[in-house]
Amino acid sequence: MENREIIDRLPHAFPFVFVDRVLHLEEGVRGIALKNVTVNERFFPGHFPGNPVLPGVLIVESLAQLGGLVLGASGSGEDAWVLAEIRNVRFRRPVVPGDQLILKVELDKTLGQASRFSGKALVDDEVAAEGEFTLSRTPEVAPG
Amino acid sequence: MAGETPLNLRVKELIIERLGLKLTPEKIVDAANLFGGDFGLDSIDALELVVVLENRFKVKITDQAEGERVLQSVDSIVRFLRERGVE
Repeated sequence: MENREIIDRLPHAFPFVFVDRVLHLEEGVRGIALKNVTVNERFFPGHFPGNPVLPGVLIVESLAQLGGLVLGASGSGEDAWVLAEIRNVRFRRPVVPGDQLILKVELDKTLGQASRFSGKALVDDEVAAEGEFTLSRTPEVAPG
Repeated sequence: MAGETPLNLRVKELIIERLGLKLTPEKIVDAANLFGGDFGLDSIDALELVVVLENRFKVKITDQAEGERVLQSVDSIVRFLRERGVE
């Protein structure tokens, strides 16, 4: 499957897709992807004026979207998932325009509708953010 | 009520620590239902408990039905761990 098709399986759309390329995907196990950080992102003028820093919550969002791909997001809306919990998340260095985030997530456990992941985001082999998060399949909030 | 065994206490401390409960171990009654009544834990808490029990005690909880059975109470968690040789 082509990279675009994989990412298109996410229910997300412009301007809220935070995975640029999937590098490795083992459905139900783990995924590795990249996200390029460009100065053209619309939030940089405000976060912060004269000092653009990628909001940490968007790094978490990137990891969660990759988690959705590991779960086999179909994009149909019938098995959409939502972020149910984040835990022990640490931001270890600022991420700025020009950086390339390497996103790595591992599925730790699925129980019923909930799936627990460990994830980290690296820039130049340094951990920029890491933590755990849980996605929950919730048909009621499926888009569309 | 039988005297508290170290395993009971360890399970209670684990629950409190991982779920961030504002309780002391002695406030958790061994037979109390963890997912209703006093505690009201939810499915996300259940998953967190499964992950932490698996990692800490090197056991496997394979599916939701087993999870629900094991996580009913501190008693049922301890019984499950004992059945798998945890002391």
